[in-house]
Amino acid sequence: MKPYSKILSFAAAGIFTCFANVSLAFSATQAKPIEIKGEIIDTWCYLSGVMGGEDAVVGSAHHTCALWCAAGGIPVGVLDEDGQIYMVLKLKGEGSLAKTDNIMEIQSDVITAKGMHYVRDGVNYLVVEDVIANEGITNLNHLDYGSVPPNSFPENFLSKQ
Amino acid sequence: MKIFQNRAFKTSSVLLAVAFSATTALAEDFTKGSKAKDFGLNEAVQSTFSAKVVDLLCEVAGDCTDNCGAGNRQLGLVRDADNKLIAVLKNGQFSFNGAVEDLLPYCNQKVEVDGIMVGDPEEHNTQFYMVQFIKAEGAAEFNKANKWTKAWAARNPDAKGKGPWFRRDPRVIKQIEANGYFGLGKDADIAYAKENQ
Repeated sequence: MKPYSKILSFAAAGIFTCFANVSLAFSATQAKPIEIKGEIIDTWCYLSGVMGGEDAVVGSAHHTCALWCAAGGIPVGVLDEDGQIYMVLKLKGEGSLAKTDNIMEIQSDVITAKGMHYVRDGVNYLVVEDVIANEGITNLNHLDYGSVPPNSFPENFLSKQ
Repeated sequence: MKIFQNRAFKTSSVLLAVAFSATTALAEDFTKGSKAKDFGLNEAVQSTFSAKVVDLLCEVAGDCTDNCGAGNRQLGLVRDADNKLIAVLKNGQFSFNGAVEDLLPYCNQKVEVDGIMVGDPEEHNTQFYMVQFIKAEGAAEFNKANKWTKAWAARNPDAKGKGPWFRRDPRVIKQIEANGYFGLGKDADIAYAKENQ
């Protein structure tokens, strides 16, 4: 074999192996059982920054907006203590867009859940089999940020009571 | 020997061509031709590409149905260029709407989409998609991805009235009536209003 052919062969094999591995890494789905504790969040507002910084689009300040987004079909996530987001695909046997109250009732709550964790292309996905603890809303950040967005709390609230 | 050399050369060429294709896919410029608006969102990047619409539960967990969950499941896109599964968070409307109503008609079909990738890829490992336009593969014209609100109205005929859908949605109203606007009960709402209004 001429030297240039040998070099070409090694180069091609190396590049091919590299990209084959990258491709497999991107497409494979890893699955494992998980017990996770975190806050139920609205993924769009948290990731896009549309309503402000990450500290403002969680907790009590953002609760009504989180209800709007969950009812609107935007994926709900669990934000764990390390700042990782897990997109909820299923909750207690039903799809996360089922038109029931299950996913609405835990918005902004800190929960502990058991289920299956899947990773694909950098995204954490979660199938929640059971919510084993619910601490309710623990982040009272409306005391710092008010309601986020502001129109998620009614004007002249007291006069309407 | 000469034959071997020729074979080695041909094999090398094929492998290089495949590697080059993979490189090209990974490095493809998805901004080219996009007409999507970025709205100044976090790390927003215009992105148009061809893909297959998939049920995320089916794609990642093997939990499949015939119809992508009939609107009860989140859907995603497997991009043709690199086989990457892209989570879709939003459609093109700006009233708290997801994308399932816009993607579901194309369940397990090839589409072309235009929209933006958002989110800090350093912090969250990847970016997420807002689909603003969609069409079946090869179709002439894009459609606006804005089906959610009409679909909601059809599902909630008793929620007619003034104001945007999210102020009339029965599931939202039920939660606010039970737990208040901050989710902490009515007393917290009253205390906040007394201090701030």
